[in-house]
Amino acid sequence: MKKSKKMINVFIALLLVTGCTVKAVGDPNRPITINANVVVDIRGLKQTATNIEDMVAQGGAK
Amino acid sequence: MKRDSDVKWMEVPAMKRMSGLMSLFFLAMLMAFPPCFAAQYDFKKMTPEINQALKNRQARYGNLQRLKQAGLIGENNQGYVTNLKSDPLAVSVASAENTDRGVIYRALVQQNTLGPNGMREVQRAFAEVQNEKASAGEFIQTASGDWIQKSS
Repeated sequence: MKKSKKMINVFIALLLVTGCTVKAVGDPNRPITINANVVVDIRGLKQTATNIEDMVAQGGAK
Repeated sequence: MKRDSDVKWMEVPAMKRMSGLMSLFFLAMLMAFPPCFAAQYDFKKMTPEINQALKNRQARYGNLQRLKQAGLIGENNQGYVTNLKSDPLAVSVASAENTDRGVIYRALVQQNTLGPNGMREVQRAFAEVQNEKASAGEFIQTASGDWIQKSS
């Protein structure tokens, strides 16, 4: 019983890690249009902005 | 004679057990929570146009700071500077500064493929950074559009 529980837990963990796959089915000759919403990470942008502004300030201070 | 395989979990020294548990916990946390790294947005290609814009901004930096301190120019909530008192020098400095900032913002949006809303997000990020970096006495525009003089 313990062994089977362990196996089930491993299987669930593998499932979570692997994720899921999406399969598109349709006419292979029809062009596929993908509408993607780009999610922008504001934290990353602010870091980039800070780096650029720091570089401008340091260059301007010389 | 006792073999290693005969040693039960509870007979393993406490420290060893603890370090084993910590390793398992750490592994579980890594798998459960994605790494919290901010996305890396940067200039993928440093074009002559970007280079010139940065150099222009560096050369203008001291002048711009003096005009900000004098209350003639303020940082708006779109990531650009605004004339506050129609001073001729401030007008030309602000115009040049905004041109160079626009070059930098467009380059970031294009090179990082930030999509149709990318320019708005870049501007917002730079505006927030400028607000944070503003010195006391300088004018900044809040997200709601109000102009305030930074106190500290």
